[in-house]
Amino acid sequence: MTGAAPRTAPGPLDSGVLDELRAIVGAEHVLTSDGDVEPFSRDATPLFRAKPDAVVLPATTEQVSAVLALATRRGIPVTPRGAGSNLAAATVPEHGGIVLVLTRMNAVLEVSGAELLAVVQAGATTAALADAAAAQGLLYAPDPGSRTVSTVAGNVAMCAGGLRGLKYGVTRNYVLGLEAVLPTGEVLRTGGRLWKDVAGYDLTRLLTGSEGTLAVITEVTVALLPLPATAGTGVAYFDHLADAGRAVARIIADGALPATLEFLDRRCINAVEDFAHLGLDRDAGALLLFGDDGAPDVVAASLERMAGACTRLGARGVTLARDVAESDALLAARRCSLPALARLAPITMLEDVTVPRPKLAEMVDEIDRIAARHDVVCATFGHAGDGNLHPTIVFDPADGDVRRRAEAAFDEVFRTAMRLGGTITGEHGVGAAKRPWLAARLGEDQLALLRRIKTAFDPAGILNPGKLGS
Amino acid sequence: MSTDEQAPPGTPQATRGIFDPQLLSACISCGFCLPACPTYRLTLDERSSPRGRITLMRALEEGRLDEDDPTLQEQAAFCLGCRACETVCPAGVRYGQLLEQWRDHQWRGRHVPPLALGLRAGMRITPAFTVGGRLRGAARPTGAPSPLAPDGVRAHLMLGCAERVLYPQVSRAVLQLLPGVVDVPSGQGCCGAMHAHNGGSGAAHAMAEELGRRLPGLILTTAGGCGGHLAQVLGRDRVRELSEFLLEYWGEHPERIPPLRRLSRDGRALRVGLQDSCHLRNGLGVTAQPRELVARVAEYVELPSAGSCCGSAGTYSLLRPEDSQRVLDTHLDEIEAADLDHVVVVNPVCQRQLIGGLRRRRSRVTVLHLAELLALALRERAATDE
Repeated sequence: MTGAAPRTAPGPLDSGVLDELRAIVGAEHVLTSDGDVEPFSRDATPLFRAKPDAVVLPATTEQVSAVLALATRRGIPVTPRGAGSNLAAATVPEHGGIVLVLTRMNAVLEVSGAELLAVVQAGATTAALADAAAAQGLLYAPDPGSRTVSTVAGNVAMCAGGLRGLKYGVTRNYVLGLEAVLPTGEVLRTGGRLWKDVAGYDLTRLLTGSEGTLAVITEVTVALLPLPATAGTGVAYFDHLADAGRAVARIIADGALPATLEFLDRRCINAVEDFAHLGLDRDAGALLLFGDDGAPDVVAASLERMAGACTRLGARGVTLARDVAESDALLAARRCSLPALARLAPITMLEDVTVPRPKLAEMVDEIDRIAARHDVVCATFGHAGDGNLHPTIVFDPADGDVRRRAEAAFDEVFRTAMRLGGTITGEHGVGAAKRPWLAARLGEDQLALLRRIKTAFDPAGILNPGKLGS
Repeated sequence: MSTDEQAPPGTPQATRGIFDPQLLSACISCGFCLPACPTYRLTLDERSSPRGRITLMRALEEGRLDEDDPTLQEQAAFCLGCRACETVCPAGVRYGQLLEQWRDHQWRGRHVPPLALGLRAGMRITPAFTVGGRLRGAARPTGAPSPLAPDGVRAHLMLGCAERVLYPQVSRAVLQLLPGVVDVPSGQGCCGAMHAHNGGSGAAHAMAEELGRRLPGLILTTAGGCGGHLAQVLGRDRVRELSEFLLEYWGEHPERIPPLRRLSRDGRALRVGLQDSCHLRNGLGVTAQPRELVARVAEYVELPSAGSCCGSAGTYSLLRPEDSQRVLDTHLDEIEAADLDHVVVVNPVCQRQLIGGLRRRRSRVTVLHLAELLALALRERAATDE
């Protein structure tokens, strides 16, 4: 690596640096006291914490540029942060230094119905973008579970997924252009308002999912779609998850591309029922939630076809909801999954493996066997349409060596997913949490290339050091 | 700097016993509470979010920070205590109780905000707040506990400390709406809600229990803040807020529903908005009932921020007047934009907050407690437009 190595020894930044930071963003937007920086020492990932030396809250791209140029000059680590809702410890400042918080830059700058796009500042929440689009009859399709709190630039940096992945794709499919600041201070504009643009390497895609290791995203231009006229939902119960998996395969083989295909395993069904008393079928091996959106007749036909596929493949029961209220009642089971599991014990480790769709049922069976072998409580829910599973282990850290057992179980889960042709993370990201498994997933040649790319963007190695590309 | 290996959060370690460990460990730090929090919406700063404050509480509990830390001092005081975060929390964190435990510890000795200390002391001097002449005729002359009589009396009306001094007409209106149904013992004392929210939850608990002995059976309250505290100490089944009691009672006894006319002015229905009480909405889960009752007598207008704290927050408007005003401004803007005749409140400190704010803006919108609005519809039943 060329340039200065990042500071690895923690300690207060020298007063000259702090004075410069205060001159750039204003004294009230530079936090340094123990109490002031404590809330920025973690994100939504359990078991990871590291205290920054300073927290800086810029208001403009120019300020971001000046802070980064200073950090590169002085070799100070900088960890960009949006709302801190990521589940990979990607915003935990393991090397100390500066946490750069972009929540003050939260304007929705433009929604264009004529161009089918929107332009937002980094810190606008996903829900604010979606609401602004909906007000003009438009859809911002990516819908990560944290959409009410997560920031758009955070979604882009982590390439957030969501419940609509199969039909609509994920964040990367909607990013048209970025304004981003290199660690050395240059402000780039990649892509733009163009749906076709092949001039140069696709830096927009490269920065999408770069987890704050290559540049700091300050503005995002996203593609929008016409808002679907209506949406409908159905639910089917199966004796075995494998049957649900076959139903999913049949639904897609029949030519449908449904907006919703979510599943809960038996443990998850029972945890939800204990918590919310929705009248779920506790004896079922799997609950499959299916749904579609579009014109009313298209949605009705699509739901009938999916219900028929479930019935033919041996569903114990199928229910269709024809209006929004009925749909909401069915979707409650999926929405309650995390709350129900989180109430079981103090620590909730929500994981994120993805396997090829035909391997879904096999993967869930493997997860159950692994959890039993390591004596941990694990329930699984996830996106059946795109093979993305969320095995969730809950435990009380006071319970002996349970944390070690949970980590050993997840190690096996990740390796099993890779053996089945899958990946260690579908939508949460690598961050610090998945770092130990990245080499197994990518191989040495790719890892080396990541490091060379990282150096090209960040010669001083200051941006989110220790994570991707380090 | 601490790393994962050295001191992972959630790992058993030396703790100081300031917080109930089960309550403190419930938070999964997902951050869903951020957009629900009025102080986070003002600052967009993690420190003034519920998750950020719980991170601070954990640092206090685990000894990484001590109670002299200025950020702890500031954030314990900056929080409105509105509990809006509880309604969106997927993990069921009981933030209101954590805040009480935090302030119990934080606001001891020299750390108590002087005004909070004064208010806590003032409210405990029960004789100073016994029913005065302004409610003469409403309260029974004895201070002894009165069992609920079998002759139709269903509940004891609680006379909140702030209300009986500032707005005694509210209790009188309740008696007009529910003749013979509620009893009003005198010498009630204070329920302790204000103490619970200001670092005195021990005293607060005892005061609520004492009030529960003086008012056996069902306690009817016109103050969401008192109701939330009483329900926490005495149990939800002992407490009814006015709007839920009216709908329950009138549902069981339709013959006792008084004739309520629709309020109008110059031939058009009055336009009436509502400001929820945080502890009524977020603590007791009562939201639909006051809206339904307003809609019976006027044209109900839902204000965009009706469910969000108005900034009065118990004693907050006295302790942090500038922050309180910042929170209130959004509400005043919406009220002025909505072309209302009245704004209805269901808690006396909200009443005081909105009356003061609208007066400063020289608004023509008047603030009424729900009981007052309904009593107006009673009085007008034989009259023409006001």
